[in-house]
Amino acid sequence: MSQDLDALLDKAVKPQTTYATATFKSTRIVNGHSIERMKKKQLEFRISHRFDPINSGSYNFYGLDYGRIHLALEYGLTDWFEFGIGRSSYDKTYDAFGKFSILRQSKGVKNMPFHLTYLISTEVISMKYYPEIFPDFNSRMSYIQQILIARKFNESLSIQLTPTYIHRNLAPSAIDKRDLFALGFGSRYKLSKRIALNFEYYYVNRPISNSEITKYYNPLSFGIDIETGGHVFQIMVTNAIAMREGGFIGKTMDSWNGAGIRLGFNIARVFSFAKQ
Amino acid sequence: MNKLIVFSILLLAFINAGAQSRFFTKDAKINFNSSTPLEDIIAESNQATTIIDINNNEVAFSVLITTFKFRRALMEEHFNENYMESSKPKESREAADKMKDFSKAKFKGKIISPIDWNSEKQVIADVKGDLTIHGVTKEVTLKAQITPGKNKIIAAAEIKVIPQDYNIAIPSAVRDKIAKEVTIKIEAIYAPYQQ
Repeated sequence: MSQDLDALLDKAVKPQTTYATATFKSTRIVNGHSIERMKKKQLEFRISHRFDPINSGSYNFYGLDYGRIHLALEYGLTDWFEFGIGRSSYDKTYDAFGKFSILRQSKGVKNMPFHLTYLISTEVISMKYYPEIFPDFNSRMSYIQQILIARKFNESLSIQLTPTYIHRNLAPSAIDKRDLFALGFGSRYKLSKRIALNFEYYYVNRPISNSEITKYYNPLSFGIDIETGGHVFQIMVTNAIAMREGGFIGKTMDSWNGAGIRLGFNIARVFSFAKQ
Repeated sequence: MNKLIVFSILLLAFINAGAQSRFFTKDAKINFNSSTPLEDIIAESNQATTIIDINNNEVAFSVLITTFKFRRALMEEHFNENYMESSKPKESREAADKMKDFSKAKFKGKIISPIDWNSEKQVIADVKGDLTIHGVTKEVTLKAQITPGKNKIIAAAEIKVIPQDYNIAIPSAVRDKIAKEVTIKIEAIYAPYQQ
């Protein structure tokens, strides 16, 4: 008889769609965005640092004496739309972005093999240069668009592909293109419930050879995510100094074999404005 | 003639019992509280399904872990991912856990105190049964407030559970933030079960 009651309960529960959650631990893999975003009425405060190269010696405490900082506030307006604003000491850059979740990986009633997210972002360089290299305000702006495609293969492994288009109103130098195309590869491998290993690489398509004065490199980063309740700590080694797409994809000037490896970290704290 | 009367009475009783013996709802409320002075940890699901059979006083509950809603989305994610492991697919679990269903919490038991289902008066009844959380089944007894009725049964119950009893690991870093005992409250309004 009790077996019977169980069967009745199971019959009453309609077939469900289960969505893949926590594909990445944070809204960033290392430098670049992941498909994760803040849910509705959740605010994230992010503090990021990238220090000087590790090989700058004990006198500079292996780079930790000097660092670039990025502060950001990011808010989930709905469960599928997040926007954020930020300020970086790198080129004294202000930025704003919107992130739209279009498809979510799911199985059950609805089957979807991957997540798909669209990111649009803009950056303004407010740094004063002498002599002035920006003729007007517009020339200080750049626009970034990304399509983020990610799949959580199993509990441990998630992989993301990130086609990227960057338009700068003014290229950094006369021989650089204003438009840049890049393809990002990112992955997350969980070592334990609360610790994950991250990898991120952006291949940047530069059709013309770099000049000898400014040579640009592709950003390559390895990171560790540590989750403690309401915080996520991300510690990384990377050759990029900037913490926004226009900078780390477009203008990374240090290389891994040129002793340009830096330590860095992101700290994210989430606040909820949802009512119980 | 006598046989016919007895038969008719039996038949009537059977039809009556068949029509009225089971009461059901699929939007019962279950909330739990494991708050400490350091952290408010409260969540509620209003999608629990439950059934009562007043013929033999049996009762069953079932709730999907993912239907619990928290104020903080991150807490909800950690609840499912790290503590209840509700989203963990069966194939990636340890061999001993492969057959178990982590996606639901269940209760199956019996009201052991006598109860007059025609009285429409609120009574406090003892309920005894098996509670399954995180794939672990334990025998529990709890007190329930039951208000019988012809077309409606109202029930409320409360139970305290210790996460470790159900193999829910709590790391030392957050041990002070999560209550040692979790209070679970249940509220259900049953209607006659229709096929």
